[in-house]
Amino acid sequence: ALVVVFSPLPRLRGLLQRCWGRLERGFLPGFSGGQSPPWGPALALQAPAYLPQPVDDAGESNEAPSLLDSILWMAAPKKRRTIEVNRCRRRNPSKLIKVKRNIDVCPECGNLKQKHVLCGYCYAKVKAETRLIRMEINKKEGGPFNAPTVETVILYDGEKPTEKDEGKRIIERARKRPSWFVQN
Amino acid sequence: LCCFLAGSAWVRGLLGWARPQRWLASSSLFPLSCIHTSTSLENIGKWEKKNRIVYPPQLPGEPRRPAEIYHCRREIKYSKDKMWYLAKLIKGMSIDQALAQLEFNDKKGAKVIKEVLLEAQEIAVRNHNVEFKSNLHIAESMTGRGRYVKRIRYHGKGMFGIMKIVRCHYFVKLVEGPPPPPEPPRTGFDQAKEYVQQLRSRTLVNTL
Repeated sequence: ALVVVFSPLPRLRGLLQRCWGRLERGFLPGFSGGQSPPWGPALALQAPAYLPQPVDDAGESNEAPSLLDSILWMAAPKKRRTIEVNRCRRRNPSKLIKVKRNIDVCPECGNLKQKHVLCGYCYAKVKAETRLIRMEINKKEGGPFNAPTVETVILYDGEKPTEKDEGKRIIERARKRPSWFVQN
Repeated sequence: LCCFLAGSAWVRGLLGWARPQRWLASSSLFPLSCIHTSTSLENIGKWEKKNRIVYPPQLPGEPRRPAEIYHCRREIKYSKDKMWYLAKLIKGMSIDQALAQLEFNDKKGAKVIKEVLLEAQEIAVRNHNVEFKSNLHIAESMTGRGRYVKRIRYHGKGMFGIMKIVRCHYFVKLVEGPPPPPEPPRTGFDQAKEYVQQLRSRTLVNTL
């Protein structure tokens, strides 16, 4: 961890400068007089501020619970759950699948549909036709960013653009108009 | 096909190396081939054999015996416990209601069971002389354990676990006719009546 030392007060700065000077010259701040302490190669250890007490038991008892005692403290099943108990839990009515009562018949195609959801068959039908229309549009435009600023009108076999479709872009589809696609 | 032109030796050579399990169900295509068909190599399950029983013709006064159709699918890649919930859902329903419920269920087994029910309905109409395909109800629907395979699942730090690849069977019995009405739940009154009946039916034991 880095320790950032702020600019000390002028008095403290003067004191620090004097101490630093003494150290540079080989004096320890604690020494008085001009004697230099025996600076020899010494081993620097990172020791805690206080001397470690010879109380190994306290140290051990702090470490051991995290390794060994945690196994003793963890929850574990005492007895095997019998198949009867397991069945009671698995076959509880809350876990059985509920019977759905919101299924109806689609009036258009006759397939089943949920009341609040679109009919899957009709949606797939519309999706397929939309895909073909989009392919026609892509063929006409040729590339990206070529969408015109006018509306689009889709005409099927044997249909002519009316007076309302004056300035609109016309997309031709080579098939009969589907019954569900109403012309304006 | 050129198979018909060649002799039986060429045909046997063609089939010698490839023996798919359910390829030719009957020997109608190759009359000179062995009489035992490919299904003799694996066991024909008991459920499949239930379709083969033939009853003697009914007497004129007897009530009509409803048609029973047994169908199953083997080795479905799904858990038997998870499949059991779907089997329990459709037990006792009419076939139309069962198909509707399964269509809007999100489980993987629902799609499989729907296919099985449609197949069974088709077999009922074609082979078992069922007049209306809607006039069927599900009498029994069960799941069974398929063959499990053990594989290694690799964890971190060189650890591994052994996982089971789980498969199941699904069995269904369709019976002709409308579904039976669900039995009403036992009330306290019924229990009291049964208790009184039990008290009344006590006799003196070891006496004259």
